[in-house]
Amino acid sequence: MTSAATTRRSIPWTSSVLGGGSALAAAAFAWPFFVSAVPADAQVAVPIVAFALIPALIVALALTLDREMYTAKTVALLGVLSAVGAAVRIAGAGVGGVEAVFVLLILAGRVYGARFGFLLGLLTIAVSSLLWGGFGPWTPFQMFACGWVGAGAGLLPHRPYSDSRNTAGRRWPARFEIFVLAAYGVVASYLFGLMMNLWFWPFAVGTGTDISYAAGADPGQNLASFALYSLVTSTLTWDTVRAVTTVVGITLVGPAVLAALRRARLGPRR
Amino acid sequence: MFRLRLAPLRAAVLLAVGFVLLRVVYRVVFGGASGAGAVIVDLPRLRLDGPFSHITLFGPITTLGLGNAALSALPVAAVIVFFGLLNASINVQALFTRGAGRGPLRAISRSLVIAWATFPALVESVRRVRVARALRGQRSIASLLVPIFEQTIERALALAAAMETRGFAATGIVAGVCEAPVVLAHAMLDFGTDDRATDWHLDDLNVTLQPGTLTVIIGATGSGKSSLLHSMSGLFQHFYEGTQRGRIDIAGADRATTPPRDTAGFVGLVGQNVRLAFAAETVHDEIGFALAVRGVAPPVVHERVLEVAARLRIEHLVGRSIEQLSAGEASLVAIAAALVNHPILLLVDEPLADLDTAARARVCAVLGQLAHDAGVCVVIAEHNTREFESITDTWLRIRDHSLHQVTLHQVTSDDVRSTAATGTDVTARIPTLPEVPLASIRQLSVRHSTDLVVSDVSFDVPVGDLIALRGSNGAGKSSLLRAIALPTTTDTVIVSGSDVRSLKRRARRQAVALVPENFDDLLFAITVAEECRRADRGRTGASTAQTFADLLGLAAPNIAQLLLRHPRDLSAGERLCLVLAIQLAARPALLLVDEPTRGLDRAARALVSAALLRAADHASAVIFATHDDDFALGLATRTLYLQNGRLVAPTEVLS
Repeated sequence: MTSAATTRRSIPWTSSVLGGGSALAAAAFAWPFFVSAVPADAQVAVPIVAFALIPALIVALALTLDREMYTAKTVALLGVLSAVGAAVRIAGAGVGGVEAVFVLLILAGRVYGARFGFLLGLLTIAVSSLLWGGFGPWTPFQMFACGWVGAGAGLLPHRPYSDSRNTAGRRWPARFEIFVLAAYGVVASYLFGLMMNLWFWPFAVGTGTDISYAAGADPGQNLASFALYSLVTSTLTWDTVRAVTTVVGITLVGPAVLAALRRARLGPRR
Repeated sequence: MFRLRLAPLRAAVLLAVGFVLLRVVYRVVFGGASGAGAVIVDLPRLRLDGPFSHITLFGPITTLGLGNAALSALPVAAVIVFFGLLNASINVQALFTRGAGRGPLRAISRSLVIAWATFPALVESVRRVRVARALRGQRSIASLLVPIFEQTIERALALAAAMETRGFAATGIVAGVCEAPVVLAHAMLDFGTDDRATDWHLDDLNVTLQPGTLTVIIGATGSGKSSLLHSMSGLFQHFYEGTQRGRIDIAGADRATTPPRDTAGFVGLVGQNVRLAFAAETVHDEIGFALAVRGVAPPVVHERVLEVAARLRIEHLVGRSIEQLSAGEASLVAIAAALVNHPILLLVDEPLADLDTAARARVCAVLGQLAHDAGVCVVIAEHNTREFESITDTWLRIRDHSLHQVTLHQVTSDDVRSTAATGTDVTARIPTLPEVPLASIRQLSVRHSTDLVVSDVSFDVPVGDLIALRGSNGAGKSSLLRAIALPTTTDTVIVSGSDVRSLKRRARRQAVALVPENFDDLLFAITVAEECRRADRGRTGASTAQTFADLLGLAAPNIAQLLLRHPRDLSAGERLCLVLAIQLAARPALLLVDEPTRGLDRAARALVSAALLRAADHASAVIFATHDDDFALGLATRTLYLQNGRLVAPTEVLS
């Protein structure tokens, strides 16, 4: 299922629900920056609204996508791949938090399209959290962020791609595709880190430090505080490790995994 | 719904403690740990500039400052621990198992159930591929991850096909007519390509099958037995993207327009490799799957499951988990799962491939009974014809792109011809028996947890020997071969005078190489040429592509097309030859091959048997495990029998 095929088949309102839902979710992630825009009386409620909004949006988007995914092949691939993703994630936690799960999300999102990639991100986090017992208020945020990583890969532009059996003839486009996906992997790794830091920042630091979130301060100061927080918390460490793992992973197993996924291509529902 | 697991709670407590510590660190670094109380360390303040001018690093650290920092973290830490408690006590998995049958989130819930059921398979797959990787002498990440991934995708597709034929996501359910289970009229099958000269196609299919009959479809590998079978199940048209012309009616439903999910009520399918396609975790849920996806009430499902299990006399299996089944039991469970809707038509794809003699007899008896006592129309695609001789009503043979009805006599005369053909090959080979053996196996035992699967096996392998290792399923053949290739105890396997246990990777592969039963696990590149290149790496003068061509009996230029293909797109016989060639690249003294004929038809078996003879020229001796009598007799210079992990009877030398 290419993304082009998806858009052709889908009902327009699905797209608007997905787009609108994602925009709302992005706003909920960025709640620390919206607080000052809200009347003073309501400011206390903002984090609570953000925390309630994300799970609600997940349910809404899952309901929207569920009908579309209801074919045997999609459900089987989604289930099996999210098991692989969860296994990769749990195995990664054992070796110093090397996050290799993006490799799978990006490659599967690329081949099966944005919607599949989004659901795969959601389910991978859900399954690994259930299995490992790491369910908490952070899980919905992780689910959304991973869903976007998979969806983004599905939205990357498709070059005209010859489907012939002659592998030698398409070596250049194939390499180019791997390069684009690896580059996307780097961007996604850092953006993922920023997104996850954003909503959690006020809780992680608390009050009373110079990089604390200050509800009354001007957005510029908050932005600078957040930038420094993000830099020391994850950008220099976890996110960089994740970006490197993703690039190495996509380069090493990308061609073979893409070939495997494409050979099992999702047929249109007939 | 509720249960107690301590691991999540422990993890949550650790996380909470980490969180508190982290917040203290933030305060210390970003100037928040000062305040009243005694000063512990007086760090100099460092003011940042530019956009960060409001931030000061460090500063004095006081006891109260640290205490405040830790205290301020407690609410969030408490939330973390609270969720740890929830995780430890609530079984969320039980919740989504309930949603998988019906409701607005059934696709996602079903995906979660599948994900759950996939974990044991994944663990098993990692174990298998690690062995395969050691056998190939590879250490790259790709050689581990790619085969695991391929297996996973294979499982997903098998699972999807099984779910589709059992009515998953059915929308326009149709009713079947018992009188005419199968009517093919001027039907043609192909994969939508125009080049009919080279591509696979079946022409002018005219078949009418009656209720209460058993039909066997025979034909060479790649002739289209499975495609023909699946043109009846509907998977060919609606899942594998094949094209049907003419008319195919299954119990009155037009196959061209009716997808398999809508005919699940009267068409049952037992696929190839049933174990891959199990969609549930227990035998009970597996048999009841087709009813559960239709939303039948659980008590009714339970009753029907027991009824079908009683019919096949497998009541004792109902409570078991899917993983605990033997190959024969798994086949019976898959048949039971296909029968739960009382089908008019039962389609079975290669039911005997994985089974030993006893299990084969049991499965054949069950299929015969279904046709002749229960009045089901049974259609089987199979190349092991002997077991079906007494119960088959109609034989259909695919040859030259068309289907012919043949007599039992025609089927058996083919058998005689083929054994005669392999017989001539052996006489060409004269075993030489020098005094010093090439390899000695000394008191080799293998333990799986507490079971002794191979017990105290000793024998010598002279140069030039082609040994058949025989024995029933579970006799320990595979374990013995693996222990010879990757010994875990010293001085049990001696090849050319050195102990294989003590050899390094490279030297070990020059002493002994094994082609395992699941030989696909050794493949991880995207073209055959690349596989060959990798096998050649670091070995001067080796040409795996040349060896591959030799084994296939082709001249090197003729395999140019094959080299460009994806390894997993080759036929099973070709893939086995490729893996043989890869394992021969190190020029091993002793070559081991596990079940080389599994799932192969007569033509492919002849190919493999010729390839083994040629492989014997590349290696100094060959041992192969098989439960195929004809194959072993036609090829081996000597036979070893294994029973319950022990060698039985003195080894017999064939003249």
